[in-house]
Parts: sequence; structure tokens; C-alpha cells
Amino acid sequence: MNILIVEDEPKTGEYLRQGLREAGFTVDLATRGNDGLHLALEGQHDLVILDVMLPELDGWQVLKGLRSMGRQMPVLFLTARDQVEDRVRGLELGADDYLVKPFSFAELLARVRVILRRGRPSQEVTALLLADLELDLLRRRVLRAGKRIDLTAKEFGLLELLMRRQGEVLPRSLIASQVWDLNFDSDTNVIDVAVRRLRAKVDEGFEPRLIHTVRGMGYVMEIPETGA
Amino acid sequence: MSWGPGLRLTLTARLTLLFTAVLLAVLCGLGVMVTLANQAHFVDLDRDYLTDKAALVRKVVAGSPDLDQMSQRLQELLQSHTGLYVRLALGPQTLYGEEANTFPVDIMSTTGRLEPIDWPWDGSLLRGAAVALPAPTFLGGDAAPSLRLLLAMDMHHHTHFMEELQNSLMVYLLAASLASGLLAWWAARRGLAPLRDMRERARRVTANQLDERMPVGSVPVEMAELAQELNTMLERLQRDFQRLSEFSSDLAHELRTPISNLLTQTQVTLAQPREAAVYRDTLASNAEEFQRLGRMVSDMLLLAKTQHGLALPHREPVALHQATQALLDFFDVVAEEKGVTLVLEGEATIQGDRLMLQRAISNLLSNAIRHAPEHSRVHVSVGHTDGMASLCVDNAGPPIAPEHLPRLFDRFYRVDKSRTHLSTEGTGLGLAITRAIMEAHGGTVSVASTAQRTRFCLQFPAA
Repeated sequence: MNILIVEDEPKTGEYLRQGLREAGFTVDLATRGNDGLHLALEGQHDLVILDVMLPELDGWQVLKGLRSMGRQMPVLFLTARDQVEDRVRGLELGADDYLVKPFSFAELLARVRVILRRGRPSQEVTALLLADLELDLLRRRVLRAGKRIDLTAKEFGLLELLMRRQGEVLPRSLIASQVWDLNFDSDTNVIDVAVRRLRAKVDEGFEPRLIHTVRGMGYVMEIPETGA
Repeated sequence: MSWGPGLRLTLTARLTLLFTAVLLAVLCGLGVMVTLANQAHFVDLDRDYLTDKAALVRKVVAGSPDLDQMSQRLQELLQSHTGLYVRLALGPQTLYGEEANTFPVDIMSTTGRLEPIDWPWDGSLLRGAAVALPAPTFLGGDAAPSLRLLLAMDMHHHTHFMEELQNSLMVYLLAASLASGLLAWWAARRGLAPLRDMRERARRVTANQLDERMPVGSVPVEMAELAQELNTMLERLQRDFQRLSEFSSDLAHELRTPISNLLTQTQVTLAQPREAAVYRDTLASNAEEFQRLGRMVSDMLLLAKTQHGLALPHREPVALHQATQALLDFFDVVAEEKGVTLVLEGEATIQGDRLMLQRAISNLLSNAIRHAPEHSRVHVSVGHTDGMASLCVDNAGPPIAPEHLPRLFDRFYRVDKSRTHLSTEGTGLGLAITRAIMEAHGGTVSVASTAQRTRFCLQFPAA
């Protein structure tokens, strides 16, 4: 997967590149609007991450340029200004998503993956599997090592999200938004409590542990690498 | 004062010009009236004079025995009257006095009363009249054709007087308009003095000097209203400015502690080589703190935007009970951990922004659950009171001292000053945001605390 980052702040750009590379993407970085547009028109990018405030051409103009040349790849805007008009303008121009600075990298990564997953034919899964944990989506049943686990509806939703996006670190804000449909950044520890309770039911007494806390970022569900 | 495109006069100049123009018009009118009255008066005087002379002539003519005697007597009578022209005629024949060409032909009055007319003659202006006289006895008496008496007087002293009068009127007019112009200028300047005072005061108003106010008591009523409005504006600005600068200093203060912590922690960690796990731990701890800082900045921005009266992003019907239920589902886990029961009752629908409202309510809920003792109950009641929709969150808990109550909604206000803020704790902006959101909805938020319970209420304006 190729990602183009157009960001004029050198540190931000460099860290984004590093982070996305380490997450398994091929990343190009441009620091000027017209360089970015040029790169995007030349290359084959699956996603463009565009800062709004750029020297020479700004983010809007780059997006316009892309669309006028018939390039329809998804675009994610980064903006320092959380203005409704900005969002509306971006969405009107055909941006796929936007993030307001300061954003957490985990959040960005999660959004990037959502965007890239879009448009791909999603096979109708009826069951999710990780190690000996099994989620039956049709009957809404959870089995760990063949043993039935009772979950509340929200716990099931939370587990389903973690399972569907296994291997990805999910930030708390994303979990709140996906499971509880709460789209604002809350400073409560609700997610932590919810995950702790889920973990008690799903992981307690089983090996290996599947739900992991990534401090400072969020939660991830995966089979831990042995010896790590 | 600017002289932009087109002529822009100062108010003083306008008032001066206007006043002078009005006075000039009035004085001109007066001058014309005086002139006309004088002329009319002269006509009256002249008529009397001519009538008088005509009567004398008539008397002489009637009392004369013959033509010579009559001529002589008339001569004696009239010789002292310079500038008086007399002609006594019988048909075309001159019996006495001037030749026929001295008088215009159509001078004869038809009314029997003397009606003087003016005409020029030999370089001067004459005013005269004619009257019929019965023929004297030596010419045949009443039976004979009547005589014509034509009288005229030279008007040079009238015209002279009128010229003098007009000249002096003109001089007076000029002097008066000059004087009145000066007076008007002085009066206008004096009248507008409060305006200059206000300008001076306005000039002194700066960001650091917002306590200057316009004079209200000492200025005319029309300006007092303006001054009052300006003062209200200044007060508003001063209040907003004050709030803004407090806001900035609060923000700086609130950011200083965590930044200092981060810096210390990072530098201490860097001071000597450590295990990878320690670095990871430090970075993770930093990330948590940064997230809190980021949230604080976002909250401050939200607060700033809401307080500056930016319109709500969306306005739609929001079912308060449904919005609250979604929040209760969210907080349920935390409440359950503490053994706190969440109860929701009643329903109401208002116009507003769902996301913002949920945010406002979530701050109340999270506070209520945090402060509720274990195994107690947090009660959320939605409904209508006095036609206004309301939502109250009620929890058991220790009383809040009355002095804290009004300040609870101030940003960064903490009842317990000494308590250090952990990264899991709020930004200290929750209730301030709740209040700002309520104000953006035209509503209010209030708090009441009794010995056992604390109750926060949101009130929405009637739809």
C-alpha cells in the first residue's frame, strides 16, 4: 500500500513517514503543495495524507488539482483549525476524512486503515477467529478454548471491534466512537474499565493473553510474539 | 477631518454655514420689507402733498377774478415750492405753468381721487397726478368746461433717501452676516465641545486602558444616549478582554505544570543509559500526558469558540432521554464497577446539537459517578418545568460548600486546590464547557447542594 504524505512541518512529516512505514506502508513525503501534487500525479498512491496549510499550493488546491486530473484516490486531511467550514469545504471537495491537530498517531493509523479497507470487497464474515477464541457473529456467541463465555451486548461489540481489527492498535476515542457511538473525546476511564472487564472474561485463566494494552496509544488484540 | 471624494465639511462648518445662510435670508427679507414699506409710505406722503397743493390751487383758482390775477396768485403761492411742477390747462391751452410735454398724456385720474404715477422727465424722476377743476367764474363758472390741473413733484430726494437706506441696509447685512457667522461658529464649536471631549477620551482607550468612559451627565441629552451606548460597549469589551486575558494566563498556568513534568521526566530519563523497558515506560507516560494536554487544548478551543457565540454546528430535534440513554450505556461499566446504579426517567425533546449536548450531559454524568459513594444511585430526570425542558443529574455525596457553588462553572476551578491533577483526571474544563454549551443553546446550568445530595440541572428555553 502506497501512501503519500504532504506535510510542511518537517518533524511531523518525518515521524508520520516513520510510523506509517513501520506499520507496513510504503510512504512518500512531500513538503510543498506543488511537489505533493506532482508526486501524486506521477505515482500510484492508494492514499494521500494532506496538510491543509502548505506553502505554494494549499491542501484544498492540491485536492482540486488531483480531482481535476481525474485522480480519485482517497484523501485524508490534517488540519490545525477545527472549523466547521473547513470540514464542510474538505468534504465538498471530496476529502474522505480529516483529523484535527493535535491528533494521536494511533488515531491516524486507525483512520488510514479504515479508509484503505473501504472500497475493497468485504467478504461477509460470520465468524472471527484468533487463537482459540471464536466469535460467532450470527448467533452472537463467544467461545474460548471451546468454553462458552457470556458477554453483554456492549462487551460483544467491543470484542468484535478488537477481533475485526486484530493486530491494530485502537485508540480509546476510536473505540468509544465505534462501540458506543460517542463521537467526542471524553476524558473518562470508561474504555479502560470496559476493556478490563472484557479481558477478565476473555483472557483470565487462558493462554495466551489476547487483549493487550499499548500504553499511551490504546488497545490491541493479537497473539503475542513468543519470546518478546 | 477628511476631505474625501466630494465635499465633506466639518459639523462646525456646516452649522456655521447653515446658521449664516438662514440669518442672511431673514435679514434680506427684512431689508426688502423695509424698502417696500418706505416706498409705500412715500407714495402716501406724496399723494397727501399733491392733494394738499391741488386744494390750494383750486382755492386760488376759484377765488381769482381774472386770469392775470390767478396767474399772479398762483405764482406767489407756488414759487417757494422748488421741485413742484404745476400746469393748469383748459383743453390744449396752457392757462398757467408748465408746457404739456412735462406730463404724460394719460395722467388724468378717472376715479376723481389723486392717483400719483411716476415718470422720467428731463433727467429726473417725477411723480404727479392730474385732477379736474371747475372753471372759475371769469371763465364761465360751473357751466363751462372744467380745467385740468396737473401736478408733479421731483422725487430726487426720495430716490436719494432710498439709495442711502439701501446702502446702509447692505452694509448692515454684510456686517451682521459676518458677525452671525462668527457667532454661529463659536456656538457650534461650543455645542460640539462634548463631542471633542468624547474623541479625546476615545483616543485614550487602548487594550491596557479600557477603563476610560464617556461623559454622560455633562453632555447634551442627544449625546448622552450615544455616550451611554459607547460606555456599554466599552464595558462589554473590557469584560471580554478581561476574560480573554484571564483565559490566556489560566491556560499558560495550566500548561506549565504538565510541561514541566514532561520535561523533567524526559531529561531525567536521558541523563544516563537505561534499560529499554524504562525508556518505553517513560515514552508511554509522556504519551498519556501529551494526550491530556492535547485534550486540554481542544477543550480550550471548544470553550473559546462556544463563548464567542459561534453558531451551533447543527440544530436538530434532540430527544434528551435518548441522548442520555446512550451516555448511560457508555458510563454503565464505570458505574457498575463502583456499584452505582444509573436511573433515567422522563423524556423531553429540544432543538440543539446532539453531539454538543451529549458532551454537556456527559460531563455532569462523569462528575456524578465520580463523586457518588459506592452502592448509591445517580438519578437523571428529564422533563418539563414551567414550559422549559430540563435535565437534572442528582447524586448522593458530600455537600459542596456554598462559596464554591457559583464558581464551579469557572474554567480550571477546583474545589480542592491542593490536589494534584493526574493524567486520568479531567482537564478542569468540564463544567465550564457544559455551561458554554448550554449558553450556546440559550439555556442555563445550575447546581444545588444539600447535606446528602448534589444536583446539577440543565434548563433549555421553551422551544
